[in-house]
Amino acid sequence: MKNRRGYFIKISLFSIFALLSLSILAAVSTIVKLVIISALLAYVLDPVAKFLESRGMTRTSATVTIFLFIFAFAGVSYVIFLPLLSEEITALQRGFNPEQAGVMISRLENFLITNLAFLGVKDLHLLSRIQNDMAKAGDWIFTHFLDAASVITSMILIPFIVFFLMRDGREFKKAFVGIMPNRYFEFTLYLIYKLNTQIGNYLRGQLIDAAIVGIFSVFALWLLGVKYFFIIGVFAGLANLIPYFGPIIGAALAVLVSILQTGSFDMALYVIVAFTVIKFIDDFIIQPTVVAKSVHMHPLTVLLSVLIGGRVFGILGMLLSVPIVAFIKVVAHESIINYHRYGEV
Amino acid sequence: MSTFWENIFKFRQKKVHEIDKILLKIPIFHDLNHSELRQIKDILHQREYNKHEVIFNQSDVGLGMYIIEKGTVNIVAEPESQLLAKLSEGDFFGELALLDDAPRSASAVTETPCTMLCFFKPELLDLIDRNPKLGSKVLFRLAWTIGERLKTTNEQIKELSSLTQQDQIVKEK
Repeated sequence: MKNRRGYFIKISLFSIFALLSLSILAAVSTIVKLVIISALLAYVLDPVAKFLESRGMTRTSATVTIFLFIFAFAGVSYVIFLPLLSEEITALQRGFNPEQAGVMISRLENFLITNLAFLGVKDLHLLSRIQNDMAKAGDWIFTHFLDAASVITSMILIPFIVFFLMRDGREFKKAFVGIMPNRYFEFTLYLIYKLNTQIGNYLRGQLIDAAIVGIFSVFALWLLGVKYFFIIGVFAGLANLIPYFGPIIGAALAVLVSILQTGSFDMALYVIVAFTVIKFIDDFIIQPTVVAKSVHMHPLTVLLSVLIGGRVFGILGMLLSVPIVAFIKVVAHESIINYHRYGEV
Repeated sequence: MSTFWENIFKFRQKKVHEIDKILLKIPIFHDLNHSELRQIKDILHQREYNKHEVIFNQSDVGLGMYIIEKGTVNIVAEPESQLLAKLSEGDFFGELALLDDAPRSASAVTETPCTMLCFFKPELLDLIDRNPKLGSKVLFRLAWTIGERLKTTNEQIKELSSLTQQDQIVKEK
């Protein structure tokens, strides 16, 4: 009886602690997001740091070297791509070529009204709606990605956090394992080890995959002469991080832009072909070689995780849903396997 | 609760030279130079155990080896709790877990309050990645140690089989 009471007190204390931690995390969600992004970056860059260490550098000098390289790369990209990028975004904010898009949209509107009149379709005002939405999309990109204050904060904070996570990551891990009771100490290390091998390769593979798909998309759209090819290509690459939905979202945006740009389906058709070819290359060449098949998850689990992640945490939730569910799966699986020991608490 | 806090602040209390002496006695580390030894110490976990505390149970997942810095540990085979070995300061056990994923073949329980140094597989793999020279040195010594243990086991098997043969001869007579 006494044991059961002690157990109840432990569970209650743990629940209160968990609730408090969650509410604090929710209150500082922006910082939590920054820390998550930084941790992911530090994690992805870790093998590079290890490689430099294997060439005789200390951890600190390896981290500094990586940062110098990233800053140099960012500087060059800034000089080359920023004029292009800002031009594209300003154009996107202003909206599309009204005459051509207008012709195309009214044609589409007439088509819908004549063919779908029996469904009660009339007076769609598609042109004004789409132009409105495109301007909104431009604003959205500005407020979410290019808002000056948040960009500056992130640009200072993220490298700062990444630097220390990379340099002192081992000490952080050691300190974390150090506070575990003796009973769970080795198991905690075992869990971290399992997570590292299963999720680490997946994350790194996905990022490399997204980068390759992004480059292919930018190149294909540039060849086809699609406007805003750089933004759409980069977006398609990033979207590729989201299982199932990502590639469709990326292709849909490119198709929409090409229709609005030319006022016909011709270019859209080529865009669809290009994205299909990229998807095939991705599925049959890039994915099997780059992305480790270490996260053993059923496609339905992946699909539902992405949907729930997107619903609860937005884009970041969609991106992180698979690794988070894989994390829960590994922890649950290993804990159940080892229940005979840890269940006796 | 006291061991909990001792584990948190453990690295502030470390007695560096004593740890060096203990590590240099372990065959896996005994030919390492000062800087290599420092790198090994950086990846070791130091933990405090109470009297009669279980370090690991037979059939638990094993991740690495334990070196006794202070105290006495009993290695026990379940389910009869048969005492296989009594180990003390400077001894080590569980090194096979650095190489294979098989569960622990016996339990380890402290007989007195103990301080342990723990050397685990993830840290060894990490070390091989970032310092291949030191990593291969440790791996080579680890293979040598396991080879030595194998030789000892072979000797014991020989002795046992000759004893059994002698027994059979005696019975036949």
